[in-house]
Amino acid sequence: MPLEVAFLDALIPSLLIAFMVSVLLSWLIDWLFFSIKLYQHIWYRSLFRFALFICIFSLLGLSIY
Amino acid sequence: MKLGQFRKTRSLAIIRLSLREWLRDDALTIVYVTKVLIACLLAMWISLRFELDQPKTAMLTVAIVMQFRTGMVFAKSYYRLVGSIIGIVVSFVLVALFAQERVLFLASMAIWIGFCTAGSMMFRNHQSYAFVLAGYTICIVGLPATISPELTFSIGVTRISEIIIGLISASLISDLIFPQRVGEVMKAKIRKRFTDFLDMLNGMSIEKVSSFSPKSATLRIVSDVFELETFHASSGMENDASRTYRLRLSMLNAEFMAVSTSFHTLEQLLRRQNSYGNPFVIMALFNLYQLFQDVTAFYNCSVRGEVEAKLLADQLKYFRTSFQQKIDLMRKQLPINLVTNERLDYETGVELLKRVVDEFYVYTLTYASLGSKSSGATQHSIADQPPRLGMHFDSLSVALAGIRGGLSLIAMACLWIFADWRSGIEAITIGIITSTLFASSPNPRKTVNQFIIGAILGSILVYICNFELLPKAQGFLMLSIAVTPAIVIAAWLTTRPSYSTIGSGVFIIFLMHIGFNSIYSANPITFMNDAVADLLAIGTSGILYALIDLTNSSWSRKRVSKKLRELVISTCKEGLPQHPSLLETRARDLVQRMNGGHRVSNSQDKEMVDWLLSTLEIGRAVIEIREQSDEINDSDTKHQISECLDQIANLYMSPSIQNQIIAINSINLVVTSLETVEVLTKLPQCNHHQLLTMLHFIRCALLDKDSVLSLPNQSDERIGKYNYAS
Repeated sequence: MPLEVAFLDALIPSLLIAFMVSVLLSWLIDWLFFSIKLYQHIWYRSLFRFALFICIFSLLGLSIY
Repeated sequence: MKLGQFRKTRSLAIIRLSLREWLRDDALTIVYVTKVLIACLLAMWISLRFELDQPKTAMLTVAIVMQFRTGMVFAKSYYRLVGSIIGIVVSFVLVALFAQERVLFLASMAIWIGFCTAGSMMFRNHQSYAFVLAGYTICIVGLPATISPELTFSIGVTRISEIIIGLISASLISDLIFPQRVGEVMKAKIRKRFTDFLDMLNGMSIEKVSSFSPKSATLRIVSDVFELETFHASSGMENDASRTYRLRLSMLNAEFMAVSTSFHTLEQLLRRQNSYGNPFVIMALFNLYQLFQDVTAFYNCSVRGEVEAKLLADQLKYFRTSFQQKIDLMRKQLPINLVTNERLDYETGVELLKRVVDEFYVYTLTYASLGSKSSGATQHSIADQPPRLGMHFDSLSVALAGIRGGLSLIAMACLWIFADWRSGIEAITIGIITSTLFASSPNPRKTVNQFIIGAILGSILVYICNFELLPKAQGFLMLSIAVTPAIVIAAWLTTRPSYSTIGSGVFIIFLMHIGFNSIYSANPITFMNDAVADLLAIGTSGILYALIDLTNSSWSRKRVSKKLRELVISTCKEGLPQHPSLLETRARDLVQRMNGGHRVSNSQDKEMVDWLLSTLEIGRAVIEIREQSDEINDSDTKHQISECLDQIANLYMSPSIQNQIIAINSINLVVTSLETVEVLTKLPQCNHHQLLTMLHFIRCALLDKDSVLSLPNQSDERIGKYNYAS
């Protein structure tokens, strides 16, 4: 993967795209978990969400570099 | 031995009590201040790490967005992002159009600022804040760009990245470290409102009614409705309440408005009865009310939560089934020699009492349903959407606010251009921030005064930090230590309600001038110039607030009173169907904008609240009459009623004794014609009854000597004569 991507002639880092994709992904997973009521079993919901996001983002980020 | 143990337990209890108190107040403040500090430092670290050229923008964003409640932070962040993006896009456009001509550039900027200020006056809460940001972001990005237009794009992109970093750190920290959910605060508020209202119901008695009418309670209720709406909007972002739950909250708000108006109307009616009416009638009405009170008072000491409310609702349901019988019984006990009007007094009172009981029952039911988890448990259908709290404002005052915002930019820009002032850009930025940020505050002049104090304090702090601490600091840790004291002081100030504006002043000034980018970059001369420019700019916008005073002048109060009267006129004239709660939200919104939920401080405020209450009670009665008269198909009566409504509208258009007498006469005419036998046979029983009682109610309200419609200089005898002439 290239480190920078041209978007409308402006160079943006691919990490930013990875960030956005992982935001979308974690929203999707969040919605999924909410609908199967997984969150009722989790003590610290926001921490869980954040950790999930970090996992996804690191995965995507590591795959770029 | 025993005594020693007793002492020990007592001191333990004291310690536990004070610990609980500390946990409730001070611990929360300390946690909040820590959260602000951590979020600021996190934002600073990330921006430095990414080598963005102004870490202070990210820190400023954190300082602005941070709130006690997590949901509020989310909501504010969202609108801050939207506002900033719009502001940046507009500044690109303006730079592209007028990069060479700074006068044209500043003129179009003034128009944009005016537009944004007007927008921030129109909307409430966080939406209003988005407009403020769209306004002043253009200064932060657009003004530096006038000096070097080729850098506009990169400046814009850097600013938006810094803002996003600030937003992310603020949201993360407030969500992860001791989150304070809005939902819980809201629950407590709703509960308090319910018990307060119950107290009000139980507290009413003959002595109270005759002595005074508690206006401040009503005003508090007005602001409560909107405060809850704010919480409600923010809690949506917290994303753990179901849709049904939120729908129920809206219903609860609407129902609460309805029942509080009805209760106030009943109170007014009883007061009038007590001073002018037949003592037997008032006694009968109070006895009926006593029966209702017996039901509500029984649970007063124990209604804490939704479960007790459910019990109360059951009691009320049972009570309602037998209420009509009791009313009929009471009617039979009235003395036989009452004249028609006194009988009507009784009927009207009973009608209102029934309305209060019904609406209170529905309100209790909805409140009780908040506790139940399942959505199927609600007795009444929630299919019909409650009316939204729309936007109702005085367009002239919004336009004036826009002009004020534009003027403050023009004033600073003239200074900048004509004096060739080095710190012109700085002055314009701060001037715009103050003149847009405080436009929607209830008392901008006072707010600006506080802000100046904050600015002075912030300048002192930033001087110490820039020229004493930062030069000696090395590395991120020492940098953090150098900026910590000022951030902590400012954050602590924002937690105190009376100093919160001072706190935000310290924050804004401190973080705007803090002297480092990726390297140390403070210069005493520039700093001094900028500090003077700040104070000058804040002073200018303060003067403009004082010159165009839209919230505290008697002119603006008069305008609100007039707008309220126009609401009555529109209920009289506009087409059906009209929803009573729409009238309620409109009227309350007008007053709330003016007052910002403060106490009734002087006679002018009191007059405005009087108009509000008068609008609400007459407006609802008018809607009732129009709905009833729509159902009947006797054209003569219909015509008479619409003529009578025209007279009432006339009275509200230009209140005078003459119009009042004309309106009362026309009501008298309709009432007498309604009481004739031929009309009685033509109309359905219930419509006829409703029409009569509501008309009679309006007549009583118009005849009331203490009402706001009765001008102080009128002669009581003339009104009194008409009272008996009917």
